[in-house]
Amino acid sequence: MSLGKFFSRDRKEKRVTERMGAHIDLLCEACAAFHQCLIHEDRRLARQVPQMERDADVIRREIVTTIYDGAFLPYLRPDLCRFVSLVDEVFDLLQETANIFLYLQLPELLKGECTRVAFLNLRMCELLRITYEEMLAGAELREKKLGLRIYEKKIDDIKFGLIRDMMTIQIDNFWQGRLLGEFIDNLTGISDRIEDASDHLDVLSVSMR
Amino acid sequence: MKLTEFMTTKIEYVDSDATVYDVVEKMVDRRIRSLVVRDPKEKGGHGVITARDVVFKVLAKGIDPGRMKAEELASKPLFCIDKGASLADALQMMEQQNIARIFVCQEGYIAGVVSMMDIMWAVLILRARGEDVSR
Repeated sequence: MSLGKFFSRDRKEKRVTERMGAHIDLLCEACAAFHQCLIHEDRRLARQVPQMERDADVIRREIVTTIYDGAFLPYLRPDLCRFVSLVDEVFDLLQETANIFLYLQLPELLKGECTRVAFLNLRMCELLRITYEEMLAGAELREKKLGLRIYEKKIDDIKFGLIRDMMTIQIDNFWQGRLLGEFIDNLTGISDRIEDASDHLDVLSVSMR
Repeated sequence: MKLTEFMTTKIEYVDSDATVYDVVEKMVDRRIRSLVVRDPKEKGGHGVITARDVVFKVLAKGIDPGRMKAEELASKPLFCIDKGASLADALQMMEQQNIARIFVCQEGYIAGVVSMMDIMWAVLILRARGEDVSR
């Protein structure tokens, strides 16, 4: 059974699913802004990410309120809310990464691979959006999930190289070193959170059956 | 899908006078299956050594990898494809030449490498995104 069948009778359900889609769309937009920020080294774009995170918070609250205002059967509500908070966790991590970038002088050696990770994060968000739509339609998610795992594996491989390169960089200032380490950790951790969210879509999909 | 989206951009190099043992060491350390042998004397005269070459042409024949030079083992020339080429172009070239990896080149430098595994991943991602795999 598709989620569509659950909300076809009620506008509240339709509103929730639309807002959940908008939540992921905003995440894609934030990832795209951060990717562009790394390409052009434009810190103004990094400053847009926290604003988007605040907008996403508003959407998340709206979704949760509507759900507990009577949308969907009670047994589905916790899983729907859990998915929304997992997407929110991706936002939080992206925001943290963008904030660190504002204070960081990213070494030339790491720039290319960091930009690549940001691009793959964006691609993962887009695939998460597609997976979400497929879940609503009651389709099989196996191929989508494999695609997401492939992206995650690619980022993991890049992380390994980034850490190796990072160890060769001369660090003169404790805070620069710490910020650089946290930046790499966060940037490469975003894909893990997106994967967690996609795993939960699978749980939701199973709940619908 | 462009090749640049799924190619591996970290290329590992060894100098042509390095030993095959140096090559193996680097493969283990970097968790890679191939690397480029750089010839400082010959411009653009790069070669490639794969784990398959090491196993079949050196270890299986009982040759001491510490006594063999990388340049003796390297396959030349590198098969290159333009950075703007498509997934289908890369696949066609790999099939025609019967090779497992292809280098993505731009203006004489190596921008990345695409392996069979990368191609498989790219096709699976295209399927997941609902995009046309044949283009």
